[in-house]
Amino acid sequence: MEAVPDIFFNTYGSGSTTKILRGIYLMKSLRLVTTILLVLVMLVGLNAAVFAQEVELEFFQNKREAVETFDRLIERFEEENPNISIEQNHVPDAETVLRSRLARNNIPDIMGLGGNFTYGQVADAGILKNFNEAAYLNNTQTAYRKMLQDLHEGSSNYGVPFTANANTVLYNRDKFEELGLEIPETWDEFIEVSETIKENDGTPFYLTFKDAWTIMVPWNSLAANLHGENFIEERTENETTFKSRYEEVSEKLYQLLDYGQDDIFGFGYDQGNQAFANGESFMYIQGVWAINPILESNPDLNLGAFAMPVMNNADENMLVSGVDTVLTMNKNTDHPEASEKFIQFLLEEENAQFYIDEQMTFSAVENVFQEDPTVVDLKEYFETGNIAPFPDHYYPSGMQVPNLIQGFLHDGNVEEFLEKLDSEWNKVQSR
Amino acid sequence: MKKTSSAFYWMTIPAFVLFFVFHTLPALQGIFYSFTDYIGFGDYNFVGFKNYLNLLNDGRAFDAYIFTFKFAIVSTIIVNILSLLIALGLNSKIKLKNTFRAVYFVPYMLSILVVGYIFNHIFTFIVPEIGRSFGIDILSKNILGNMDLAWIGVVILAVWNSSGFNTLLYLSGLQTVPDELYEVAKIDGAGKWDQFKHITFPLIAPFFTINIVISMRGFLMVFDHIMALTEGGPGQATESITLLIYNGGFMGGEFAYQTANAVIFLLVVLAVSFFQIKVLQKREVDY
Repeated sequence: MEAVPDIFFNTYGSGSTTKILRGIYLMKSLRLVTTILLVLVMLVGLNAAVFAQEVELEFFQNKREAVETFDRLIERFEEENPNISIEQNHVPDAETVLRSRLARNNIPDIMGLGGNFTYGQVADAGILKNFNEAAYLNNTQTAYRKMLQDLHEGSSNYGVPFTANANTVLYNRDKFEELGLEIPETWDEFIEVSETIKENDGTPFYLTFKDAWTIMVPWNSLAANLHGENFIEERTENETTFKSRYEEVSEKLYQLLDYGQDDIFGFGYDQGNQAFANGESFMYIQGVWAINPILESNPDLNLGAFAMPVMNNADENMLVSGVDTVLTMNKNTDHPEASEKFIQFLLEEENAQFYIDEQMTFSAVENVFQEDPTVVDLKEYFETGNIAPFPDHYYPSGMQVPNLIQGFLHDGNVEEFLEKLDSEWNKVQSR
Repeated sequence: MKKTSSAFYWMTIPAFVLFFVFHTLPALQGIFYSFTDYIGFGDYNFVGFKNYLNLLNDGRAFDAYIFTFKFAIVSTIIVNILSLLIALGLNSKIKLKNTFRAVYFVPYMLSILVVGYIFNHIFTFIVPEIGRSFGIDILSKNILGNMDLAWIGVVILAVWNSSGFNTLLYLSGLQTVPDELYEVAKIDGAGKWDQFKHITFPLIAPFFTINIVISMRGFLMVFDHIMALTEGGPGQATESITLLIYNGGFMGGEFAYQTANAVIFLLVVLAVSFFQIKVLQKREVDY
């Protein structure tokens, strides 16, 4: 056994570190002392880690745009609860990361997710806490709780809806005024406005279709209004097809390409936000979540939002709105009370109001209203209840619909595209 | 015979254990999951070969295989020709030889993902500017947004990044060729091309084998390049197998199905590598 250390010391030369280590090794008494010291340091270190903070929680959330707002809310919470420390964890492609973490059984304590297919799958897998008995659940709006329940089996509540978004068309108020344009209320008016802008050498939309997910914004507005009642239920029962119900959706989407800038597939979300902020286009087909990053680029931009007018009868037009953030937690977290405390904290009216004031979203908490003039044109949709959920939240994610549409928009072959949608749906469902 | 010092066991066994636990065991687990319908979390059932059968009917997987092979073959050819040329240049009597060697090796040391994002920026903003000022239509738009040309962008990044390593290998190969052979050839009246064809190339055959096998294997597994440049788009035009496995398995929630895909891919890569080694080793000449 003496051979090994000798090989080690002989290989590593005779520098001062080696000399010291060799010295410690050779003197048997020194070896004992050093070992005891190391063990003591480890024990003290461990204890320090355990006693320093009573509770450390991880808050995993998926919105890049909301990181600073949550940071400030976490600061407030930690002031009120000095022995709980929360670390916000946000990564790009959060849902993919979450899935890979779930595969390793590394589940975050508290989560803020989008109310979509991934949330439904995670809920079905029995990972999330059941909130049915939570008193604070009743402070949220029923409509949004129902949207979440529709995403998974059964009608329990595996999360608390926190905020709702709106799938809109953003527009530059100053530029609209210059040309004397009004907010279009029907599809024909929408095209007319775009034509007028083109005639005046302006760019109607800045399209960012290099990022496939941004195509879903106009797609969702079109699909929600045009795909008819109960499409998802009927498609799941094989009683209908994409081919029979999505023709107009595809044609109208393709029509919008005529009104984009020169290189539609060359630019992505970040470039689009900047370009619209710098006044390069009159309108920008994005949801209210993009307002913050745009204003960060150019705080002086005078922008507004309106619902995409898909129908030619203004009264029938629906605004697509879904649960932007659903708060939930790990069923088996080490710190259930602390985690629940944080969720309750976020749901307090004062904090929910703070969040939506900063993020331009709408609150799912009762009696918390979005008053910002930027989104005032959307209010009537919420008041009359002309709201529809996001169609793509119910498409199985294995279909990769955004990339399929991206491919379609390159050649415009509607028939082939709809057939592909159907075959991919069938393929994925049979797996 | 001297008993092997236990030191050697102490050196190899820990490494073997680590390798087994973190590399082989997960691979075996993956193969196990490919026979289930596991979505990465929650409960699962055994489904036998259903995943494999579904794969055979999956047009998207088929397209991904075609693209991956197309990309790998083109990149391997370009990288090896380029590296060999550079190595020949670096092996001759030129000034600042060592500086050049360092310069050509630097791209290989950079993280592909980071470089990829820079290339993304170049293709989005700088190349279109240049294209517009020279009036070249094709280059006036971001080629990464063009369904037919996006893969060329990925090839350019791959070639730029990997050539350094292959150049190094070829350079060491060239240095094993003894100078006397060239002198004799010159006396016999052989030109530069003849010298290359009859002396250099046969003698560097082992290095040629290694380079081709390594490049091909590396390019078949391309992921970072595509993630940084196009994320598989536009549509599914640049979706490689590894990207499909990642997208479908994690984003799409079809963990077990894509694991079956991964197993098939493993077998394909093994087959290709074995085939290459068999064919190329026959060419190796002993001097």
